[in-house]
Amino acid sequence: MADIKMLDPADRGLSAGYMMWYRFSRNPAAVIGTLILLSVVILAVFAPWLTPYPKHVGTIVDFKARHLPPDASHWFGTDKAGRDIFSRTVFGLRVSLLLVLGVLGISVPVGTVLGLIAGYFGGWTERLISGLTNVMLAMPPLVMALAVSNLLEPTLMNAMIAITLLWWTWHARLIYSVSKFIASEDYIEAARLAGAGPLHILFREILPNCVAVISVKTTLDAAFVILFGATLSFLGFGVKPPTPDLGSMVADGRQFMPGFWWEVLCPGAAVLYVTLGFNLLGDGLRDMFDVEG
Amino acid sequence: MRQHPLTAILARLGSFLLVMVVLSLMIFTLARVVPGDPARMALGPAATPEQVQALRQQMGLDQPVAVQYLDYIGKALHGDLGISLVSQRPVTTDLAQTVPATVELVLVSVVFMFLVAIPLGVVTAHYRDHTLDHVGRILSLTGVTIPSFLFAITLQLLAARFPGGWPIIGRLEHGLGWQGGPTGFLLLDGLLAARFDVVGSALQHIALPAFALSMAGIGQITRITRSSMIENQRKDHVLTLQSFGVPERVIIFRYLLKLSSIAPLTIMGLEFASLIGNAFVIEMIFAWGGFASYGLNAILQKDLNAVTAVVLVAGLFFIVANLIVDVLISIIDPRMRRKEAL
Amino acid sequence: MGDTLLSVENLSVDFTSYGRTRQVLRDISFSVAAGERVALIGETGSGKSVTAKAIIGTLPRNATVRSGSIRVQDKDVLTLPRGEREALKGTAFSLIMQDPLSSFNPVFRIGTHLDDVMRFADRRNGISTSRSERRSRIAAVLRRVQLADAERVMNAYPFELSGGMRQRVLIGLALLHQPKLLIADEPGTALDVTTQDEILNLINTLVREENMALLMITHNLGVVRKVSDRVVVMHHGDIVETGPCHDILSQPTQDYTKALLDAVPALYGPRVTDMPQSDRGPIINIKNLNKIYGRRNGHHAVRDVNLTLREGEIFGLAGESGSGKTTVARMIMGLLRPTSGDLMIDAPAPAKGRRLTQIVYQNPGTSLNPKRTVRQTLTLPLKSIGMQGDAREARLVELMGLVRLPQSYLGKYPHELSGGQKQRVAIARALAAEPKILILDEPTAALDVSVQKTVIELLVQLREELGLTYLMISHDLSLMRNFCSRIAIMLRGEIVEEGATPDVFAAPTHPYTRALIAAIPVVSDVEEREKPVVTEEERMRFLVKSTD
Repeated sequence: MADIKMLDPADRGLSAGYMMWYRFSRNPAAVIGTLILLSVVILAVFAPWLTPYPKHVGTIVDFKARHLPPDASHWFGTDKAGRDIFSRTVFGLRVSLLLVLGVLGISVPVGTVLGLIAGYFGGWTERLISGLTNVMLAMPPLVMALAVSNLLEPTLMNAMIAITLLWWTWHARLIYSVSKFIASEDYIEAARLAGAGPLHILFREILPNCVAVISVKTTLDAAFVILFGATLSFLGFGVKPPTPDLGSMVADGRQFMPGFWWEVLCPGAAVLYVTLGFNLLGDGLRDMFDVEG
Repeated sequence: MRQHPLTAILARLGSFLLVMVVLSLMIFTLARVVPGDPARMALGPAATPEQVQALRQQMGLDQPVAVQYLDYIGKALHGDLGISLVSQRPVTTDLAQTVPATVELVLVSVVFMFLVAIPLGVVTAHYRDHTLDHVGRILSLTGVTIPSFLFAITLQLLAARFPGGWPIIGRLEHGLGWQGGPTGFLLLDGLLAARFDVVGSALQHIALPAFALSMAGIGQITRITRSSMIENQRKDHVLTLQSFGVPERVIIFRYLLKLSSIAPLTIMGLEFASLIGNAFVIEMIFAWGGFASYGLNAILQKDLNAVTAVVLVAGLFFIVANLIVDVLISIIDPRMRRKEAL
Repeated sequence: MGDTLLSVENLSVDFTSYGRTRQVLRDISFSVAAGERVALIGETGSGKSVTAKAIIGTLPRNATVRSGSIRVQDKDVLTLPRGEREALKGTAFSLIMQDPLSSFNPVFRIGTHLDDVMRFADRRNGISTSRSERRSRIAAVLRRVQLADAERVMNAYPFELSGGMRQRVLIGLALLHQPKLLIADEPGTALDVTTQDEILNLINTLVREENMALLMITHNLGVVRKVSDRVVVMHHGDIVETGPCHDILSQPTQDYTKALLDAVPALYGPRVTDMPQSDRGPIINIKNLNKIYGRRNGHHAVRDVNLTLREGEIFGLAGESGSGKTTVARMIMGLLRPTSGDLMIDAPAPAKGRRLTQIVYQNPGTSLNPKRTVRQTLTLPLKSIGMQGDAREARLVELMGLVRLPQSYLGKYPHELSGGQKQRVAIARALAAEPKILILDEPTAALDVSVQKTVIELLVQLREELGLTYLMISHDLSLMRNFCSRIAIMLRGEIVEEGATPDVFAAPTHPYTRALIAAIPVVSDVEEREKPVVTEEERMRFLVKSTD
């Protein structure tokens, strides 16, 4: 039995926008997720003005203030060099968001276009995409990223390249299956019979129907990219010090466990905060668009 | 267009074989075209250019990549994966020592994952939008969002406060006089040798890393199970049984659970590579000494033969896991037994 | 008429969605007496299915019962404790599910479903039974619904049975505990007409022999005539009219009922219209057309088909699912390549961007892109023929006028339109680049009968105004009787009968044609009497599908 809410002809008068807003605003998870992400973006963008010790992102050493526990002047405490962890964490958010922008900014468009092509045209493009994604699935992404970024040089840029190399296949795989389904709908054949060319069909007929799936997937992916980037930098494949990076801050703090727990938990919790935001929003979008993610 | 079930399995095996070939080609090429001379790395900065050249020749690095690859595959089929540059031992020997530890860890994690996630998914679906559902959702959301290293370290922090102490690194307590067993699985070997002190200690040691490793999966499988249960609950066949007064618990635990276990199993197969990837982090934090630790080390040291072997073994893990998933699904779903190959 | 088994009194139900509450049932009352057959008829949104769900207790989460009672055996099921209410299921009343495709859990055997239903019903009644005992009782019930090989059916998984067989099992399920009242929700609607006819006959027989009462929920007036003694007509949540079946069908008192009856295409008698024959030359010539899917041992979908369509006529290609009619149409469209044979369209080659043939699909819900406005949908074919600016705008307005839609609808998205309006947009799109031939692929199958009438009228007018040729593919013979000038009947890839529509219906030569026509549920005695006679042997020849 299909969702009665969607089929009911009496809902016909409602605009699609209203129905989406209705579902969104009644979804606490989505609202909280949006608020979290807003706070993250504001903190990251205005970090130099919002943090108490913006200079602590550099190579400052203040041995008198080493390993201070959290208090009023250092909300998250200080690290082994006496630097304010809160300030460094906020700047670390910048790296995480940049990573998301870099990775998804490339892999989403590439994956979408290739997925659309494979789904609509079938044939060798279909075989290529599904073959490639099958191989990529078998490869632990973390291992692949480690191998690539280490064999090149362990930098953020290389980590980003490594993640991007993997990520587009996942995206392509999803869009491929969605667009293959849409391509078999009557309205696609009708458009072809009305004389539409392949570009029109791909980008005007199929793509708009993928927007919901793409936005849900991209939001959830953003969380994974952040997790992934943090894990890479935790293992020592991240940004070069002294630039603050959440994963490597956790790794640094780990040496001083369990005594100076805040050096691990505070930057770690920041990662959790961001990924939570993206996941909540992703869930909310899924409910809002009424799609399977 | 129905096919014989055997044909379907063979086709599936064939596609897996292809995956292995492409995977090996990729990693092999990657490892050899990137900058950094493995021979130089192996010998260290003190070596003379002649020594480096000699080692290059010995390793076949002066040959074209295609020749090197075919040579490698030929040997690999005979169980020779080359010599590890770092340990100076055959890679196969290293793998034989490290793989069982990882397999044991992964198996315990997967069992734990399903034991927790499936009931949690069923319960949250049944009590949809009630308190229990919200608690379950927060739990599964935490599983999906928390970085595995953070969770692992937090577990270690908590374990350190455990009265009487709880082991936070390694696989076994020292001083038990354990010489190792035939399979390399401590739990199994301990049982076979009736050494319950070993089993107990191994269980204690594996508990935390297995929990840490399963966390992401618990989150994901709970969600999938929940949404699959809810989706199937809306289907007509549930209405059929309800209309004839079949009790709710029978509908849920018999009819819906079986149907809704297909989706989490499929996801488990697809996400198996991520699980192996996470093992790299978990093994490092818990000093587990498994194949993932070995792999991480190999990558850091640019140990070519070891890296290639590690990637191939990881691929093999994935394939074996997916074959098992395929078999399980075809047992559950009669339609799969008749379906054409993928 | 005996005791009252079911009485619905002043029932009002609300649905809440998107913060708005709507009344879907307004104060309705009716009853079913022992041994009585009552039909609840209505179109989409009439509230008939909601009524059924309220009785069975499977209303969706967003529904609330505002007032009223539903009494079964003098107990109000709306207020009854859960346990007592469950106890009524299967014995006091039983439901025949609607959709045989999804009514069974795909990963369990048919026998498991039946056994569980029987086991728990027995337990509620305080009987303990063994598995083998239940198995033989189930087998007996399956034989009651004419499933001779009961063992095989019980061991089968749902997907291994045909639609007709699954529908029979569903009926058997309802019979397991000799209920006094059967509630049937559109049984057999998804099946072919011959199979549906068998199912209705079976229900009738069972109801009579077991002396059960029947509440039949349906949208089809022909079904009403076949299986009911009394009719309750519903419209927009109200009961419009109630009365004996014969009276309602022959002398309806309410305008809505009259309109509904009038919209049903007649098979025989004075209400039938004959489409004029075309006197123009042939436009499509098909010789020995074959289509085989797959290479080795392929499925022979179309076999040696010969057809000629005259310009300006409405040609009907009739058949049940899998008969090959759609394959023929797709080959004419050029969407499929014939395996062998000739297919000639006798018309000058069209200019760039234009086509000789266009198509109107069965389901307007899937033939319009949900993300594109009516304007965008209609502009596409105009762009292809190079039409721009004011000319294009004028043509858009003209097209909307052609299909009788207001111009303001150009800005609307499909989900803002009703089914009939969507189908008009689809027709406008097909006509935009002025094709010569329009393929109509069951163009009204997804629509209510009153909407069907208006769409068909529009199509008739358009053909006259624009001089088009139509090829209609359909399984609905009574519709084709009134709409097509000539008709061909397809069976398993072959054309078994062809001719002017009045001739074919007056004297069908092929036994399959006779069986098809005889199976159509009609609304009047006149039509029933005029139906061709089919021998039992002939009927069985074409009904193998539903029981094997």
